[in-house]
Amino acid sequence: MSETYDFLFKFLVIGSAGTGKSCLLHQFIENKFKQDSNHTIGVEFGSRVVNVGGKTVKLQIWDTAGQERFRSVTRSYYRGAAGALLVYDITSRETYNALTNWLTDARTLASPNIVIILCGNKKDLDADREVTFLEASRFAQENELMFLETSALTGENVEEAFLKCARTILNKIESGELDPERMGSGIQYGDASLRQLRQPRGSAAQTKQQCNC
Amino acid sequence: MERAMEQLNVQLNRLTRSLRRARTVELPDDNETAVYTLMPMVMADQHRSVSELLLNSKFDVNYAFGRVKRSLLHIAANCGSVECLVLLLKRGANPNYQDISGCTPLHLAARNGQKKCMGRLLEYNADVNICNNEGLTAIHWLAVNGRTELLHDLLQHVSNVDVEDAMGQTALHVACQNGHKTTVLCLLDSGADINRPNVSGATPLYFACSHGQRDTAQILLLRGAKYLPDKNGITPLDLCVQGGYGETCEILIQHHGRLFQTLIQMTQNDDIKENMLRQVLEHVSQQSDSSYQRILTSLAEVATTNGHKLLSLSSNFEAQMKSLLRIVRIFCHVFRLGPSSPNNGNDMGYNGNKTPRSQVFKVSVWCIVIFTTVGATLYDCTSSPLELLWHSLDEWLVLISTELDRKCGDAASSSPGSEIASLLLKQREADPSVSTETPALLPPSLDPEVVMKTPEAYVDGQDVISMTANRLSAVIQAFYMCCSCQMPQGMTSPRFIEFVCKHDEVLKCFVTRNPKIIFNHFHFLLECPELMSRFMHIIKGQPFKDRCEWFYEHLLAGQPDSDMVHRPVNENDILLIHRDSIFRSSCEVVSKSANEKLKQGIAVRFHGEEGMGQGVVREWFDILSNEIINPDYALFTQSADGTTFQPNSNSSVNPDHLNYFRFAGQILGLALYHRQLVNIYFTRSFYKHILGIPVNYQDVSSIDPEYAKNLQWILDNDISDLGLELTFSVETDVFGAMEEVPLKPGGTSIQVTQENKAEYVQLVTELRMTRAIQPQINAFLQGFHTFIPPSLIQLFDEYELELLLSGMPEIDVMDWKRNTEYTSGYDTEEPVIQWFWEVVESLTQEERVLLLQFVTGSSRVPHGGFAFLMGGSGLQKFTIAAVPYTSNLLPTSSTCINMLKLPEYPSKDVLRDRLLVALHCGSYGYTMA
Repeated sequence: MSETYDFLFKFLVIGSAGTGKSCLLHQFIENKFKQDSNHTIGVEFGSRVVNVGGKTVKLQIWDTAGQERFRSVTRSYYRGAAGALLVYDITSRETYNALTNWLTDARTLASPNIVIILCGNKKDLDADREVTFLEASRFAQENELMFLETSALTGENVEEAFLKCARTILNKIESGELDPERMGSGIQYGDASLRQLRQPRGSAAQTKQQCNC
Repeated sequence: MERAMEQLNVQLNRLTRSLRRARTVELPDDNETAVYTLMPMVMADQHRSVSELLLNSKFDVNYAFGRVKRSLLHIAANCGSVECLVLLLKRGANPNYQDISGCTPLHLAARNGQKKCMGRLLEYNADVNICNNEGLTAIHWLAVNGRTELLHDLLQHVSNVDVEDAMGQTALHVACQNGHKTTVLCLLDSGADINRPNVSGATPLYFACSHGQRDTAQILLLRGAKYLPDKNGITPLDLCVQGGYGETCEILIQHHGRLFQTLIQMTQNDDIKENMLRQVLEHVSQQSDSSYQRILTSLAEVATTNGHKLLSLSSNFEAQMKSLLRIVRIFCHVFRLGPSSPNNGNDMGYNGNKTPRSQVFKVSVWCIVIFTTVGATLYDCTSSPLELLWHSLDEWLVLISTELDRKCGDAASSSPGSEIASLLLKQREADPSVSTETPALLPPSLDPEVVMKTPEAYVDGQDVISMTANRLSAVIQAFYMCCSCQMPQGMTSPRFIEFVCKHDEVLKCFVTRNPKIIFNHFHFLLECPELMSRFMHIIKGQPFKDRCEWFYEHLLAGQPDSDMVHRPVNENDILLIHRDSIFRSSCEVVSKSANEKLKQGIAVRFHGEEGMGQGVVREWFDILSNEIINPDYALFTQSADGTTFQPNSNSSVNPDHLNYFRFAGQILGLALYHRQLVNIYFTRSFYKHILGIPVNYQDVSSIDPEYAKNLQWILDNDISDLGLELTFSVETDVFGAMEEVPLKPGGTSIQVTQENKAEYVQLVTELRMTRAIQPQINAFLQGFHTFIPPSLIQLFDEYELELLLSGMPEIDVMDWKRNTEYTSGYDTEEPVIQWFWEVVESLTQEERVLLLQFVTGSSRVPHGGFAFLMGGSGLQKFTIAAVPYTSNLLPTSSTCINMLKLPEYPSKDVLRDRLLVALHCGSYGYTMA
């Protein structure tokens, strides 16, 4: 028997090397901080079924390598993504400065309707902060991104980041702004709506017998 | 006296009546005897007779008899004896009497559709709601058999149309399961619960789907049946796919569009039988052009996701690889079907008898033009989601390749971020064909931990190539499959060739590091000689056994499974051979047989003999191969060593010689195809000719050892000052006259010098070894290649080819003994068995061969030893079975199962004596002993 869900969303996690993309994914899927995380090779993959606004949504998440040498490989995964987490490290201005490049990539290679949430990761390392919340939220506003500061270590805002992105996509589907049937939308229907819960066995017979009385 | 007379009269009267009617006219007093008198009459509905007998008798009409304890009323209802039924009811038979299984007469009447009986039983107040021991009521019985009309009548009397049997099944369930449309409608009209689950949660729709009842499913869905899984979560769609019910699936999808995606997603599920799922998708794809396009697009999407998952290093390689290849196989299958619409000019419509696209292509290249130009209605591959996967694959290979190049230009330093390159470099060092520019301190072992000296040289503590090579190779395999399904059979897609050429370096690096990749994923090599040549040196370095497996795996691909060995042989397909003219008659029948038939299997029968089976086939190959080298035909000549053969350059004395060479090639090809060994050993040079390997001067020694030595001498010594006066020509005896034949154009005037002597030796070798017998070689190869593609045989060298064709020449008694089984009372401890092996050890090599031939039908031990002895149905060890001893009894054998039937001889001497008699008299000819 296969998994049941109403929708499947394809997600991307992008951003410079060492910003904690894989740790965010790990925290989201396993609810744990990944202690000995290595550089991602190519693109990794994870999935989780979540409940958003009364719908079950399976998030199929592609966690890309941040290192430059993998850039052309990871770019080939952009097409057909419905949502993306664009990650930088609040303790590294360099990763923040690279955001424009990542964003350009995402805007040009992925679907024009892609929903992107900006994540300032390593929120727990506030003492080493190099990028202020205000600065980043202004950047997010200018580029029409959602924005959260997250911590893959403590788990703060990790779930929220994924769910917020999923909720936005769901709203766009409901408002008709997004068409899941369109090729490369990164969205698929599941058959959950068909697998309704049944009545307890025998209850129908009982009611009928009562009628006969 | 009078009374006595009267009694006599009565008796006489009775006797007359009895004789007239040919039966008794009075019932016996006891019920048990009486009931058996009445039963046949009831069954035949002889109501007058029954009535007569019952009159004045004390018989209990409710008397239950027999194993199932039925009354006569049951019998009448069961047989439809309506008059008797009424008679019995009038005489007070209980209409609701239940037999041992709880069945009433009404149940039996319903089961058998006895309409009148049912009516009468109801008149006499039979209760329609009684359940038998399994909970079945009369309406269940009617529903099972689809007796709609009767059901309609009965339903008026039924209080609960949803009455359940012991499994919670209603009449509607059973009607759906059996696909009785009108019955289903009748039950629904009578208010049956359309979504009723049974004890395991199965609904009427579930039952209809589980049996592929298309029309019933349609009715249920139109009446608003819900799509519900059972308690284990098995859905109606799951059931349709399990059963391969395409039409029912199509109906489900029509009603629930979401199920289309679910169906597509099922291709990822390992538990679902691929052929069933393929059958379903095939059907759905043929509904319309758009369903065809949609299925291909969706399959391509799933394949792409799975391919990307496979390229994620943390995914399970085996599972993801299987999943990807399965989806791609299904994709290719559906693609080849083509769209159903007849307006695209192709006759590829689905009519249950599919025309594979490849066949359509075979017609002419013109079809390719159609394929590309009529692309509007066909599936447009260039916009397929799979392109994303191929793009990623390409980027991966480029990534590895660029890092490799960068590192090569900067071999000394080990800069961070170039770990892949250093690994690749190390790999190149392991490959002797590539220059070795780095220190020789690297150990030959490929352990990266040992090789890496700096922490930067670790890629996250692991080795990128070993992590990605298998995954990328599997995706390459998928890419090849997709490229191939768009091509006519036997042609490699130019796009794929271009791809391999582009990534040549990286692919070679993969296979050098892990040659298993070739056998597991690079099947494309076998289908494309051009690509094969690039990898040949790596393939040749692999163990013979691995190459053998790959060879047969590919050779037999597409043939029925080996467990089909026992399929019946069509009488017309038996090769009927005359033993006394075996060569000629074999040549005749083989040339008349279709090659494809011969590939499927060979059945041989000798004229006038009954024997058939693997033993006879083996004998045929054995004798025939001896005949091929029979000097009378002048086809082959013995070489200098006296045991090997090669084509006779003068074979044209036999006017039909080229036909015979083609036949000889066919026989050897056929033997190799069916893993049968032949009794011929060829010269090295001839094996080289079969393989297409150029001969060298050393091969000359097999036909003229003295001359070979001379050639060797020329090569080994400086000939500048010897004054040999040799030119590039030889003198040959042509019909008695000496003639100078140039070795190359203008050769008679070109001097052989120290500088060009190697060329001279090569040319003169080719003249002696090849040119002299070129027509014979060509004819032989033409025959051989009908069964063995040249690209496949290339996997072996000349020594291995000999092993494959002729098996092991020596018989190893120890190996024989180790791989022998005993039956019918023998075991290794038995004195007779110990004597037997002592005798075998004392036999000459020739006698051992005879013994082997006596028992197995072949004089050869298969490659790999006795453990690989073949019988009629696969591996079959040499077996010795005990037979009771009578004086002078000889051993016998069953060659099909490699069994020696050895009498329990009283002494070793008797055993030896009898065995030798049997060997020398009886190793030829078959009768059904």
